[in-house]
Amino acid sequence: MRIVGELCLLTAFVGSGFAAFVFTIPWQRRHRAMQVGAAAAALTAVLALTGAMAILAWALTTKDYRFAYVAQYSSRLLPWQYSLSALWVGQAGSLLLWAWLLGVLSLGLGWSSRQAAGLRAPAFGVLMGCLCFLSVILVFAADPMAGGDAVRQQGAGLSPLLQHPAMLIHPPVIFLGYALWTVPFALAVAALVRGTVGAEWIRHARPWALAAWAVLGVGILLGAQWAYEELGWGGYWAWDPVENGSLLPWLTGTALIHGMMAWQHRRILKRSTLVLAFATFGLCNFATFLTRSGLFSSLHAFSQSPIGWLFLGLMLAVGIGGAVLLARHWQALAADRAIGSVLSREAGVVMASLALSLLAATVLVGTLSSALSSILLGRAILVGPAFYNQVLIPTGLALLLSTAAVPLLRWGTGPSPAQRRGLLVSAFTGAAAAAAAWVGGIDEPVALAVGGLAVAAVAALAASIVIDARRQAPASAGQHALVSWPVFAVLRVQRAKYASFVVHLGFVCLALGVTGSSVGKQEKGFVFTEGQTVQWAGRQIRLARAVQRVLPDKLVGEVQLDVVSRDGTRIRLVPAQHFHRLQEQWTTELAIHSTWRGDFCAILHSGDLDGRLYVTLVENPLMFWMWAGGGIMFVGAAARLWPTRRRKSAHGHRECKATPGQRGEQAVSPACAAHPHLQISGFSKKRTPADKAASGR
Amino acid sequence: MTPGIKLGLGAAIIAGATLYMAYVGAATSWKYYVTADECLADPPRFEGSRVRVSGVVVPGTLRIAAQRDRASFGLRGQTGQLDVVCQGPLPDNLDESMEVVVEGRCEPGGRIVGDKVLTRCASKYEPDPAAGARPRGERPGGSGPAEENEA
Repeated sequence: MRIVGELCLLTAFVGSGFAAFVFTIPWQRRHRAMQVGAAAAALTAVLALTGAMAILAWALTTKDYRFAYVAQYSSRLLPWQYSLSALWVGQAGSLLLWAWLLGVLSLGLGWSSRQAAGLRAPAFGVLMGCLCFLSVILVFAADPMAGGDAVRQQGAGLSPLLQHPAMLIHPPVIFLGYALWTVPFALAVAALVRGTVGAEWIRHARPWALAAWAVLGVGILLGAQWAYEELGWGGYWAWDPVENGSLLPWLTGTALIHGMMAWQHRRILKRSTLVLAFATFGLCNFATFLTRSGLFSSLHAFSQSPIGWLFLGLMLAVGIGGAVLLARHWQALAADRAIGSVLSREAGVVMASLALSLLAATVLVGTLSSALSSILLGRAILVGPAFYNQVLIPTGLALLLSTAAVPLLRWGTGPSPAQRRGLLVSAFTGAAAAAAAWVGGIDEPVALAVGGLAVAAVAALAASIVIDARRQAPASAGQHALVSWPVFAVLRVQRAKYASFVVHLGFVCLALGVTGSSVGKQEKGFVFTEGQTVQWAGRQIRLARAVQRVLPDKLVGEVQLDVVSRDGTRIRLVPAQHFHRLQEQWTTELAIHSTWRGDFCAILHSGDLDGRLYVTLVENPLMFWMWAGGGIMFVGAAARLWPTRRRKSAHGHRECKATPGQRGEQAVSPACAAHPHLQISGFSKKRTPADKAASGR
Repeated sequence: MTPGIKLGLGAAIIAGATLYMAYVGAATSWKYYVTADECLADPPRFEGSRVRVSGVVVPGTLRIAAQRDRASFGLRGQTGQLDVVCQGPLPDNLDESMEVVVEGRCEPGGRIVGDKVLTRCASKYEPDPAAGARPRGERPGGSGPAEENEA
């Protein structure tokens, strides 16, 4: 099986290399036979990677220790789901997963973007080039099919800290995010190589970028969830280089998506959008460089291998190549229009993109601080969490301000009188909420500012729906009773716009959760004996009993804490210590009671021979809103990506989809751009022969 | 004043505030990142400074308080060892012969008074685990509740 696996990897390397060669070299693309051969080679490469994945998964679940990888990351006692998750726990396995995901997505791009015939081939070539790069590493540097030194009866097993449900999906989700970000990058390169620097590439890249953004965001939150329960015991973010590595492309990717919107709607921010596309892809590779170079001080265990330097080489190539391509089209990429008004939507996008870019730059500088100071000062100097947290205040507030205002802003011009009234009302509501919070005893300025802006954001969204509903009311008459209710009609007709605002709402919830848990967190250590009761944080906590359980793979020591809240609610928390026999390692298992107001956690540290039990209690306000915010953002992104059903007109042909830009100057498709009268849904369209020729029907 | 200039002023304010906050954050949180050997080579240079020192926990020196909020151990480099006293929450997998990073202040004589011990989180891509595990089932520096608090 190992040999078959090795052959699969070799096939993937050769196939992707050939496909990359054919699809990226223009004169090769002109030969039909070469194209067909390259497409077949690409398909073979992806099938070969699928085979390699299946072989490694089978070896892990059947504990085939002839594979060195299986011996290192699996064991006889490991449950099958964690055995399978070992597929992406090790270096070689995670790279194989990344390559496979990239291969599958490459085929997806080839299948989904048939209309973008001009961009498809070079973009596919770039993707195959990236796949070839990963295949080279798999074949020559990190071989998941490598054999063990001897036939073993038992493996080393998976680290107990990684045996957590979030860890089952966190790494693959992160790698899926990285793989997805490759597609917008490939389309940007294709557009620059072909010299078609219009908005066409964005039309194809934007859904991929949004999907990448949502997936990477979920992956980051899953990692935070794991850290919250397994590593941080109530802390979820330590600004560690590995955490920063995945956050960086997410930040620049968020700015990229906003830049794409500004380009599509107003033909501005073209250069920065392309720079962000290159930067986001480069930062995905930077994250891998961080974990493999051994250069950086981190909580995470790193191996020092040449792989990190290969990724650094790739980043340099991307940077230099991107700079050359941008320089070639610098003049053509100038903005077509000026900013319409300081209270326009593009102004909000510019400010948000600036805040995101500043935050990303700060995180990058902080992550590189030891390496940079070694070069510049001759001594390694690190910055601590305070550096990042301080910068988060102005950038986060600027982002919240933009988020709060944007539902009531228009592209290209200032707000309408109704929108101005809405802005005033939402600002007043936010200020009133902050004042009420202050009267209620919250005296932390950042918490008051975040709370006020959060309330203003919700009020602005509500005002936007009301204004749109009033505008929509006449149009909705005569439709189905439920749909004709103006608010529903607005949400239905302007689904894309309001899906984006749902994402913003999720961000507001996330900001509330982060602020609450940062500003209001409190914890205290206690020494209990059985039956003892203590009072803390408005709760009565009684240690009912301590229990020992013996399981096949571990010993469990746990205590039962009966907690009575101020309002009389009774809960039981069972924090524990687990001793994992195989790894001879203890792990602390947090007990959490979560409500919308916050988390109440208990951590059991240890006990002594006199029956004293050492327990720390933690109150983490508003944590629920952080996780909920992530979920809301994902739902909003999914709603934005959900395909729009195209309706047939009375004449039997499909209508071009109307978008919020139809009242402005946004072109939806080349055919629509050429024939603006086709853009308006419900408008009587009598197609000319030229229209039919343009749409191919 | 055109919208572009107004927007530029707003951008300058955000950028200025960010730079200032970055400066404040860096000034209050910076620390030297050194190995135990670098600290041993020139102790006066680091005395009184915040440091982050990496090294290996010397076998037989690890003492952990029962509440797991205080530990003392020797931190070994290639040329010698530093005495470390650390007050604060300790990670689960802190063990002897393990590579750790201690954050704290360097005192005269090269003693490190730490407020945080960081172990590698046994995450992905780890190198081969260090040898020298303690006897099976014994909680480092104290006894686990499983053994002492049977119901």
